Amino acid sequence: MTCVEFWNHLPEGGLEASPGAGHLAECAACAARWDRQQALKAGLRLVSAGMRGEEAPPRVEAGLVAAFRSQARFKRRRAASYSWRSFSWWPPVLTGASAAAATVVLAMVLMHGSHPVPASMAPVSTPHRMAPAALESADAPADRVDEDSYGPDSDFIPVPNAARIEPNEDVHLVRVEATRSAMMALGIVVSAENASDTVVADVVLGSDGMARAVRLVTNGDGSLLEEE
Amino acid sequence: MIKREMAHESTKTDDELLARLRRGDEAAFVALYRRRQGAIYRFAVHMSGSTTAAEDITQEVFLALLRQECGFDPERGTLSGYLFGIARKLVLRNLERGRADVALETEADDAAMPELAVIDDPLMDLTRREGIEALRRAVMALPRRYREVVLLCDLEELDYADAAVVLQCPIGTVRSRMHRARALLFEKLNQDRNPRLAVGPWKPMRVAI
Repeated sequence: MTCVEFWNHLPEGGLEASPGAGHLAECAACAARWDRQQALKAGLRLVSAGMRGEEAPPRVEAGLVAAFRSQARFKRRRAASYSWRSFSWWPPVLTGASAAAATVVLAMVLMHGSHPVPASMAPVSTPHRMAPAALESADAPADRVDEDSYGPDSDFIPVPNAARIEPNEDVHLVRVEATRSAMMALGIVVSAENASDTVVADVVLGSDGMARAVRLVTNGDGSLLEEE
Repeated sequence: MIKREMAHESTKTDDELLARLRRGDEAAFVALYRRRQGAIYRFAVHMSGSTTAAEDITQEVFLALLRQECGFDPERGTLSGYLFGIARKLVLRNLERGRADVALETEADDAAMPELAVIDDPLMDLTRREGIEALRRAVMALPRRYREVVLLCDLEELDYADAAVVLQCPIGTVRSRMHRARALLFEKLNQDRNPRLAVGPWKPMRVAI
């Protein structure tokens, strides 16, 4: 090993593990230089030891701790904000759930009566052809009907367990569309294919807003009128 | 109680403390600060020559650590090296603003660097108080690129690999700068002992301390 190779491959620590250790025994100049380097390193260690007491004043730590606490408060506030935002998907889910619940309530109304007409039974905007019996009720003033129009001889089917209409009670007739499955209690045939199809029906509401009777609106040939 | 807590923290590694710091653990932050602030502050003082600047730099270094996007990557080096790296950048920025660096930093100076000359062994003095102080002054008078490598590797005991990360240069460059820095220190110590020998690359310099 040459002198240049020795100094170029000098390890960081001691020479014990270095392949150049033998070179110092052969080269007096490098050995002397090596000794001086070691003395300098020892001197630098003493300088380092003398500097150990030099530290940042306490106000630096105080300032940093204050900054840390301020940041921690900010993070907590932001985390709280994010936790609310994480529930931002709830409104559409709740809306969908409400719609589903309304459909269920409609079915309950039809099966058990004496329930308010749900929102899903919204009036149909465009009138359709009506069966003769329906025309009778449609002849009633405005959207009001007499009790006779949904009597035993009419097409109206009393909602089970619904209260009877009082003689002078004002009733209202609304036309709604509902799924076949919701009308199953009225005897509509429902299959897996047409369960979600909608049909048109007239609902008689008492003065308390409760459904009293339902009539399925049919075409001239007797088939159910389906919403298009 | 606090002392017991701090003693407990002192057994944790830097990475463990950093992980807890990220979760908002103030005790971990304080422990990490107390462990590392001295070295960062000393490096900043001896590089900038100003205790006021060193305070600001130390504060900035640890504030950077608080930031979520601080960019420390354990794969690339130690936390200590990372902190020194930030401190160095801040020091350089400070020096650029203040132009307070020594005026002995050109490649020509490197080329004219003397070999280690034994005149009247100044190293004998290093065991005495005056000798230690002379060596300290010699370190502070080194050109910036050599001073920083001596501060990091000899005085703060970083290994060459960490120093290479801090200085953003190859490890071979760290090694060669160390060699030249030591040669300059020998020369300076010789010069102090015998002013008539003050020749060669040493020029008048301006040092702000």
